[in-house]
Amino acid sequence: MTETAPTAAPLSGTKFFMNFPVTATSHLLAEYRARGGYQALEKALRNMQPAEVTKEVAAAGLLGHGGAAFPAGRKWGVIKLDDGAPHYVCMNADEGEPGTFKDRWLMEHVPHMCLEGLIIGSYALMGRHAFIYIRGEFDLSHRRMAAAIEEAYDAGLLGENILGTGYSCDVVLYRGAGSYVCGEASAMLASLEGKKGWPRNRPPRLTVKGLYQKPTVVNNVETLANVPVIIARGATEFKKVGTPKSPGTQMISISGHIARPGVYEVEYGYSWQKFLFEVCGGMQDGAQLKCIIPGGVSTKLLSAKEIEPLTLDHNSALAGGSQLGSGGMIAIAEGTCMVRLASVIQRFYHHESCGQCTPCREGMGWMERILNRIVAGGGRPEDIDRLYQISEANDGTTICSLGDSAGYACSAILDHYREEFEYYITHGHSMFDGRLTVTDPFAGALAITGARA
Amino acid sequence: MKHLIPEFERWKARYPAGFEGSLTIPCLRRIQEDRGYIADSDITELVDYLGIPRIQVDEAIAFYTQFTRKPLGKHHLQVCRNVSCSLRGADGLVAYLRQRLGIGPGETTADGQFTLTLVECLASCGTAPMMMVGDAYHETLTPASVDALLDELAR
Amino acid sequence: MMDFSIDGVPMQAEDGQTVIQAARANGVDIPHFCWHPELSVPGNCRICMVEIEQEGGEPWFDIACNMPVTPGMRVLLNSDKVKKLRKDTMQFITLNHPVDCGICNKSGECTLQDYHYEHNGAASLSRDTKTHATKFFPLSERIMLDNERCIMCTLCVRFTHEVSRSHALGAVNRGDHALIRPAEDADFNNDQYSDNVIDLCPVGALLSRELLDHARVWYLQATPSVCPGCERGCTVNIWHRKHEWKLNALDPRLNTRIDRMTPLANPAVNGSWVCNKARDLAHLFERDRAVQTLVNGVPTDASAGIAEAARLIASARRPVALVSSWGSNEELAAFHATLADRFTCFVKADHLPMPGETLEDHLLIKPDKNPNRRGALALFPETAPAAIAPETDLLLVWGEGMPQAAIPSGTKVIRLDAYAHPDHALADVFIPISIQTERAGHYTNFEGTVSPFSAAFTVKPAIVHAEDLFAAVRAALDPAAASMVAVRGT
Repeated sequence: MTETAPTAAPLSGTKFFMNFPVTATSHLLAEYRARGGYQALEKALRNMQPAEVTKEVAAAGLLGHGGAAFPAGRKWGVIKLDDGAPHYVCMNADEGEPGTFKDRWLMEHVPHMCLEGLIIGSYALMGRHAFIYIRGEFDLSHRRMAAAIEEAYDAGLLGENILGTGYSCDVVLYRGAGSYVCGEASAMLASLEGKKGWPRNRPPRLTVKGLYQKPTVVNNVETLANVPVIIARGATEFKKVGTPKSPGTQMISISGHIARPGVYEVEYGYSWQKFLFEVCGGMQDGAQLKCIIPGGVSTKLLSAKEIEPLTLDHNSALAGGSQLGSGGMIAIAEGTCMVRLASVIQRFYHHESCGQCTPCREGMGWMERILNRIVAGGGRPEDIDRLYQISEANDGTTICSLGDSAGYACSAILDHYREEFEYYITHGHSMFDGRLTVTDPFAGALAITGARA
Repeated sequence: MKHLIPEFERWKARYPAGFEGSLTIPCLRRIQEDRGYIADSDITELVDYLGIPRIQVDEAIAFYTQFTRKPLGKHHLQVCRNVSCSLRGADGLVAYLRQRLGIGPGETTADGQFTLTLVECLASCGTAPMMMVGDAYHETLTPASVDALLDELAR
Repeated sequence: MMDFSIDGVPMQAEDGQTVIQAARANGVDIPHFCWHPELSVPGNCRICMVEIEQEGGEPWFDIACNMPVTPGMRVLLNSDKVKKLRKDTMQFITLNHPVDCGICNKSGECTLQDYHYEHNGAASLSRDTKTHATKFFPLSERIMLDNERCIMCTLCVRFTHEVSRSHALGAVNRGDHALIRPAEDADFNNDQYSDNVIDLCPVGALLSRELLDHARVWYLQATPSVCPGCERGCTVNIWHRKHEWKLNALDPRLNTRIDRMTPLANPAVNGSWVCNKARDLAHLFERDRAVQTLVNGVPTDASAGIAEAARLIASARRPVALVSSWGSNEELAAFHATLADRFTCFVKADHLPMPGETLEDHLLIKPDKNPNRRGALALFPETAPAAIAPETDLLLVWGEGMPQAAIPSGTKVIRLDAYAHPDHALADVFIPISIQTERAGHYTNFEGTVSPFSAAFTVKPAIVHAEDLFAAVRAALDPAAASMVAVRGT
């Protein structure tokens, strides 16, 4: 079993999560408590009313870390504590956005921090049951979370009458079974009800009718993992970290053609350039940076030049024409064939389209077929326009944002690298050698040179 | 499936009342873990046990990629071929596995040892190229590490 | 109530109405595939996208089926952007649809076909091969599914979950590989409302196996009728060949057959649905007919039969009449006005439940398998006893359901029936009468709701309408009135 160790390059600024040495036992309750764990839960349960907890989280300006950066406190604030209905909090641990693997790190190394955030969140919303929906493929994360939950039950941190405060909460750890779209909150709740993961329209919002038609808040793992910090230190202290509009830190998982891929905790507002070229050691094997996918493949890529002035926070990314998304950053080197990359991305969206609503169900396959045809040398002059057209026809027209995301991803590649597509269509082959790798570890080991899947 | 019912009953205790249908996916996972795949009789028994419509189970099995109704090879190799892995040599890894195993994606070796499947992002992007064997991640793969792994699995 | 507008036309909406509902209430039909007034709203087809004008802001777009009307809302149904969205959606919907209208039974009444002309009207932009899916898939013993034609609106799936409650259909797989499939325990065969999904299907994906390639719909017309299958009395349409498209060269029976049965939407009785028994009414109505008047088993004409019937009635001392619960209110009234005073009258169940037939369920099916028992009991309050009293010297049997074997041996019998039966030859008088599809009338259902039916076909010369027959027999008993009555078909 290989475990993802944090690539522990020192970053300036505060760390909330990666502030301890990872060892074989650092994920266990005893060590978490030794680091001050569950003091926030105790503080919340003993000294704060549920509404005060929400108020504190709102005052901290905590933004959602799942991709949309929606203020968590505002989401919680919608729940009417006196409506007599059960309220559910569901931790979204269905990390599936390509390029993103920071929630895995959190669950594997600080499962108790995630759990503590969930229990505090559930208390804030006066929930009796809380849920963790974990990606089906995550085995180690699942085992670590499951063990953390059992430790918490045994320590009286979960179940009846937590810490003798009279508050009771059960946590259900629910494992998915392979579906990207279940990371979308309404699809996740459908899956949690034991059904296929089809998203549903709003209204009604999930905070009105969510799991089994009851008010439900769905928060990302990292979002909830921030809650103990906020409660323990207070909103004012939390806001001292990061930028005024993006308070706190962001877990960034970086991969692709980068020298030191891995998970990094970055204080919002850190220089993007410094992060890439100092913290992450620059590009793999001396390659030149071509572009960056900033926050999972669903965010629009930015060229090397575009990121130069940017900082790692939501407003800066937005000003640069993209988003920080889920923090799943992918570095792409000069010489990479963007046409083939687009077809790899689109294959994914086609594979994961749930099949429910028309533009995405039909459009995803259509785009993939066009891109595959171009890659196979059969491109047609109208293909580029058609890809734009399908992207546009998916923009804001579908139930969830899978179709939109595919459109953003594809049109951003077309916007930046149209000439590569035109070249490929005209000549029937890539402008470069068609490779996606900087260094292919298997190149020398293949009997037939160039054998490809 | 029936021998798993006591375990399912224990799970139920932590769910709110009326959440029986929610157990569909956990039960299917457990059944598959137990048998290696989901047999027709498992579905019939699960439908009876949970009191849910049969179609809900049919839909779930067909929707979630991890479920299989056919036995797979003893070792299920699931190779990620999404963006980050492709940038780090997933194509080469697949080609190498084809060469080593003599099978293509979706196929099982004649001796029933290995099934090769191509999958999308497994959130192991920083340690690409990678594959999942059974439930375990094998990361930063090279020809040497693949050789060592396959030899160990075949033993 | 609140004010809102569509394309600048002021309208009113009720609280809680969605845009599509409010539009419909105001006579505006917003295009839709997946929406149905009696089913849940999945909002998956996306053809009902509308634009909402915003005060001083960017307009926003959403689906009319899931968006509640808000006071002052300004909906645009025909802005350039909305038209483009509809055109885009039609491009997507037809992308992998085979567009095989020429050989499709739905052609002529297909929503996709209509919307294509109205909202797209352009050839496919795709130059790639269409995805292929299952054709001629046996969804059940009654229904065939063409997955290539299917546009995944899921109306059929939701129907089985929300209305028929068989939960027999679902959507399996994902993306453009998603397929409608029956549950693998084949429960759709047991769904007694299954054929409603054929009507619900907005395309030619779900078709009756029995009626496949039976008739092109543009040759057919619908006659409103009432299903006689049980005391619910669901309103139905009987589809049959239009007179102007009469076939002169082929089997002439094709001109007078029932080509299909569909529900006639009726909130007071059956909503939008009927059960499969109504779908199979052709089998019930098109049984072998009785076409010959018989006196003591000997063929004769109707007037001779009427005269003999009058003679038997006139000489009877303890006559009993079994009144048909398949008679229309008009026929029952005619019997009441003409002959009832001569008989001790009982209402008879013409049809009992068939072996294995569902007696009653959560939706439409009711235990009494006759359409007008309530109408009959309104005039003749007594229900027929289990056995005919032995002292009965004359028995008038109107309709089916009284076998000769159950009649005391000394009793004279007058039979009026529409369908061929060996018992007819054993009656003293037998006169063939018309069936529901050959005449107009009304039935009163178990709740007291009166529904009309019209004549779809003309009656054969030797067959008599019961209403006329009663008057004729009365006239024969009372010669003074004879000149006032004309008996058709004699």
